Amino acid sequence: MEPVVELVDVTKRYGRAAALDGVSLAVPAGTFVAVMGATGSGKSTLLHCAAGLDRPSHGRVRLAGRDITRMREGRLTRLRRDRVGFVFQSYNLLSALTVRQNVLLPSRLGGPRGDLDGVLRSVGLDGLASRPVGELSGGQRQRVAVARALITRPAVVFADEPTGALDPSTGATVLGLLRDAVDRDGVTVVMVTHDPGAAGFSDRLVLLRDGRIVADGPTPDPVAIAERLRAVSAAGLAGAGRAA
Amino acid sequence: MRAGITAQALRRHKWALLGPTVTQCVASTVITMMVTTAASLGAAPLSPAQRAAVEATSVPEAAVAFALIAVYMAILLVGVTMNLAIARQLRDIALLRAIGATPGRIRRSVALQAAVVAVPAAGLGYPFGLGAGHAWVGGLTQHGVLPGVVAYAPSLAVLPMVIGIGIATSVLGGLAAAVRPARIRPARALTEAATRRPGIGAPRALAGAGLVVAGVVLSAVVARQAPERAGENAFFVMLAMCVGVGLLGPVLLRGVAARVRPFSRGIVRLAVDNVAAASRALSGALVPLVLVVAFALVKVASHTTPAHRTGLREPAGELWTDYSGTAVYCAFAAIAAVATLVTGLVGRQRDLAVTRLAGGTRRRVLAVVAWEAVLVTATALGLAAGIAGAVLVPVLRSAPYVPFGYLLAGVALTAGVVAAGTLAPAVALTRGRPVHVVAAAVE
Ligand SMILES: Nc1ncnc2c1ncn2[C@@H]1O[C@H](COP(=O)(O)OP(=O)(O)OP(=O)(O)O)[C@@H](O)[C@H]1O
Ligand SMILES: [Mg+2]
Repeated sequence: MEPVVELVDVTKRYGRAAALDGVSLAVPAGTFVAVMGATGSGKSTLLHCAAGLDRPSHGRVRLAGRDITRMREGRLTRLRRDRVGFVFQSYNLLSALTVRQNVLLPSRLGGPRGDLDGVLRSVGLDGLASRPVGELSGGQRQRVAVARALITRPAVVFADEPTGALDPSTGATVLGLLRDAVDRDGVTVVMVTHDPGAAGFSDRLVLLRDGRIVADGPTPDPVAIAERLRAVSAAGLAGAGRAA
Repeated sequence: MRAGITAQALRRHKWALLGPTVTQCVASTVITMMVTTAASLGAAPLSPAQRAAVEATSVPEAAVAFALIAVYMAILLVGVTMNLAIARQLRDIALLRAIGATPGRIRRSVALQAAVVAVPAAGLGYPFGLGAGHAWVGGLTQHGVLPGVVAYAPSLAVLPMVIGIGIATSVLGGLAAAVRPARIRPARALTEAATRRPGIGAPRALAGAGLVVAGVVLSAVVARQAPERAGENAFFVMLAMCVGVGLLGPVLLRGVAARVRPFSRGIVRLAVDNVAAASRALSGALVPLVLVVAFALVKVASHTTPAHRTGLREPAGELWTDYSGTAVYCAFAAIAAVATLVTGLVGRQRDLAVTRLAGGTRRRVLAVVAWEAVLVTATALGLAAGIAGAVLVPVLRSAPYVPFGYLLAGVALTAGVVAAGTLAPAVALTRGRPVHVVAAAVE
C-alpha cells in the first residue's frame, strides 16, 4: 500500500547548518510513529517538512498521496486543511474563541464538515462546547486540540510534544485518544516526544541524531526506549567529544 | 463571512489595532478639515475682485493638496501601524495557516480588520475635522490671508466621503502590511513569533536603499522645477525617503546600537541591547518620527534661510498659512509616532515584567526605557536632518540656516513625542505586580 507520509532524502538547512540531513522515511496508513531524539536533533523540523508547514532545502515529500515538494501554497494549505490534523505542545488554540469555534475552525475555513458532538464526546468534552478555551485547564485544552485535529477525519495527524506540558495521567488520556483514532479509524499519527512513556503508545519508533535517522523499528517497552535514547545521546556526546 | 471567522479569531489582539485606529482618526480629521475649508471658500459670497484675491492666496489649492497629502500619509501610516498590529498576531496567523487558512484568506481578514477600524475612526475624525477647519479658516481671516466675508461652512455631505476615503486608505495600508505574514511558511511563522528575529530580507533592504537613493536624486530634479510645483513634489520625495528609512530601520537602529554599545555600561548597555533586539518594532515608529522632523525642518529652513541671507521678512500672512499647514501635518505624524511607540511598548509588557522579576526595580526598568527613548530620538533626529538636508540643499543652493532656538525647540518636541510614546505607557504598564503580568501572559 502507498505510504501516507513519505520523505525521500530530505535535507533542511538553516544558513549553513543542516537541521535535517538526508532523511528518508515512509509511513504506511494506520501506523502510530513516535519520533525521538535529543534536543536540537531535528524532530520538529522533520515534522514541519513532512506536514507541509515548511519546505525542505533538498529532497522530496509526499503527503496523503500527493507530491507536495513544489505544490503551490494555496493547494498545499487546502490539502492540510482537508487531510491533516495538528496538535502542538502549546499555543494550539485561538483563545478568543470557544471550544466549539476552535474545533469547527477547519470546517469554517472551508474544510470537511465533521460531527462536532461525536468528536467532543469521544475526547470527553461534551458539555464544554460553549466555554471560552482561555478558561480551560491545560489537559482540557489539549483535548480540544485533539478534537480539532480529528474532526475532519484526516489521513494523518502530526503531533509535536502533545503531552509536553501535561502531568503523566492527563498525558496518557490524550495519547489514548490518538491511539484510539489509529485503531478505530485507521488514522496515521506521527508524534514527536521526549517521554518514553508517551512513545510507548506508538507502533514504530524513529530515533534522530544530528538531523539523521539512527534507528527505526517497532516500538519496544518504555524501559527499553529509555535505554535506547540514552545510548543514542551517549553516542552523540562521544562523537562530539571526539570532534572537540 | 469566511474572512469573518479569521478576523474574529484574531480579535484577541484588539488593542493592537489602537495604532491604526488613532492614525486613521487623525487622517480623517485632516481630510475633513481641508475638504470643508476648500468647500467653504467655493461657497463664500464673494465679489469677482475678492474671488480673484482669494485665488491669488493659493489657499484653495493648498487645501486640496493638503487633503491629498493626508490620503498618502494615511495609507503609509496605517500600513506602518497595521504592520505592528499584525506582528502581535503572528502566532495566531501561523496556527490558522497550519490548520487551513490560505494566504489569501489571511490577507482578506487583515483588510477586513482595517476596514472595520476605519469606520468609527472616520466617524470620530469628522467632528474633530470640523473644529479644526473652523479654527483654520478663522485664523486665515484673522491674519488677513482671506477676506473677512469668508465664513466656515461645515457640510454633512463630506462625512460619507471621509468614511469612504478612510476605508479605502485603511484597506490599502492593511493589504500592504499583510503581504509578508500571509506568505510566510507556517513553520517559520511559529518559530519567528517565538523569537522575533530582527533581520530584514534582501528585497526589503534593496527597496529601502533604492527609495533613499531615488529620493536624493529626485530632490535635485525637483529643485529645478517651478517653486509651486517644487514645494509639493519635494514633499513626496521626502515621503519616499522616510519610507526608505523605515524599511532600513532595523538595520539602522542596530547600527546605531552597535556604535554606542562599546561606550555603554549597566542600564545604558541594557537599553542599547533592547533597541537592537526591538529594532523591528521601533523602526515602525521611525517612519512617522523622521517624517515629522524632516517636514518641519524643511518648511522652517525654506523660510528662515532666505530671510537670514537677504535680511528681508516675508509677509506674515503667507508665513502663517504655511506654518499652520505644517503644524497640522507634524501633529498628524507625531500622533502616529506615539501610537506606534505605544503599540510596541505594550507588546513588551511581559518583557518588562520579566526584567523586574529578574531583579530590576521599577525605577531601573523605567530608566532603561528612558535611555531607549534617548537612542531612538537621536537616531530619528539624525536621519531627519539628513533627509531635510538632501531636500533643502539643491533648492536653496546653500547650507540651510535655522535659528538655534528653533532647533532646540525641535529637539525638545521630538524628545517629548518619544517620551509620550514610551515612558508614559511604561509608567502605566509597570504599575501592577510583575508576577501577575507574567502569569496572565502565559497561554
Ligand atoms: N528557524 C530556524 N532558524 C535557524 N535554525 C533553526 C530554526 N529552526 C530550527 N533550527 C535549528 O535546527 C536544529 C533542529 O531544530 P528542531 O527544532 O528541529 O529540534 P528539535 O529536535 O525539535 O528540538 P527540541 O527537542 O528542543 O524541540 C536546531 O539546531 C535548531 O537550532
Ligand atoms: Mg522541537
